[in-house]
Amino acid sequence: MNDNRTKKKAFLPRLCLISSGEERADNGTLLLKQLALLPRSHSCMVQIREKKLNAKELLTLALKAREIELPEGTLLLINERVDLALAARLDGVHLPENACSATVLRTIAPTLIYGCSVHSQSALHLAEKASADYLLFGPVFDTPSKRIYGPPQGLEKLGELCQATSLPVFALGGITQKNAPLCMAKGAYGIAALSLFHDTARFAETIEELYIHINP
Amino acid sequence: MTPVMPSSPFLCVITDEAFCPLSLAKQALKGGAAIIQLRHKHASGNQLFLWAVEICKLCHEHHALCIINDRVDIAMASKADGVHLGQQDMPIAAARQLLGEHRIIGISASSLHEAMQAENDGADYIGFGHIFPTSSKEKDYSPLGPETLRQATALLSLPIIAIGGINHENAASLISCGASGVAVISAISRAQDPALATQKLLSSINRSRS
Repeated sequence: MNDNRTKKKAFLPRLCLISSGEERADNGTLLLKQLALLPRSHSCMVQIREKKLNAKELLTLALKAREIELPEGTLLLINERVDLALAARLDGVHLPENACSATVLRTIAPTLIYGCSVHSQSALHLAEKASADYLLFGPVFDTPSKRIYGPPQGLEKLGELCQATSLPVFALGGITQKNAPLCMAKGAYGIAALSLFHDTARFAETIEELYIHINP
Repeated sequence: MTPVMPSSPFLCVITDEAFCPLSLAKQALKGGAAIIQLRHKHASGNQLFLWAVEICKLCHEHHALCIINDRVDIAMASKADGVHLGQQDMPIAAARQLLGEHRIIGISASSLHEAMQAENDGADYIGFGHIFPTSSKEKDYSPLGPETLRQATALLSLPIIAIGGINHENAASLISCGASGVAVISAISRAQDPALATQKLLSSINRSRS
């Protein structure tokens, strides 16, 4: 099982697309458009994070997302709900800090990929104990959607986390083509974003540009 | 152990968002509740899991069942006896695939149509209501009334748990309408002595048999 996990980790894409949080229960969702537009040449992690949808709507969205033919290596994850990940045959779940621990969840779904949001030492400790497959850290830069949580954490804090752990760290919050290389220089494994991907007219281009900028 | 639905008439106590579910469960079990449903829409996943583990333990000590609202994953992880799903939650078929044949799946139904659908889909019990006006949940439809409950119990073979505005004065009449049990939130959580309130409710539904 350990071998398996290492293998999975080695193949994690370096770009993580997080859904807008504005998906609606009816048709015409941004997420499904984005998935259809993913450039064939690159793999992506895609995290379905839609707190306004109920479980039934989330499952419907996840099943629709699963039906789309995705570039090889692309991974579909959903926020927190292991039951929905299993029901829609997704690849994993992303766990907020206050979610049920990955250690516990692995007992019911051992093959899923588990990512953990990490904002504190204790959260890092728990994520490491659970051998999380990746960590998500942010907001690194100022971003309108996260201003309510206080000032950005900054590049230095990102660097400290990357130093402190051997787990892959994704930088989140105000990431652009310009500042993505700064995150990589601090030891980030990859970058994650929401609003950067909202413009579907430039979507494929944005992904191509990011991949050029973050290539180590 | 394979969970079995309690024999009729029984009492299901649903936890109230405004109170600690652990102490409520303790009191309700002391008073004789046969099912505790952990329902907390605003709690974190971690908190929900920790409560679920504790409540399962308490329930099993009292030979009662622990049912988790909405979160099939939390039910699986805590080895609860089953889940209770609303019409906005995961569909029964998907939940059944995850939980297997032996775990209990209950469904909320607010019409005969929804109740029959749930029976067809393979539910183990139906939470039917609200029967009377209730303050526990915001409702956008009027109470179903005991007569609709009577129709439901005549039409369906699944156990039906009546819910909504039930207290020790009206509970017995619902058992007479064919309900296998009754479910309550505020009648227990808002009582001065939840254990005593549970006992009182239970003895009133037991009287309906004689």
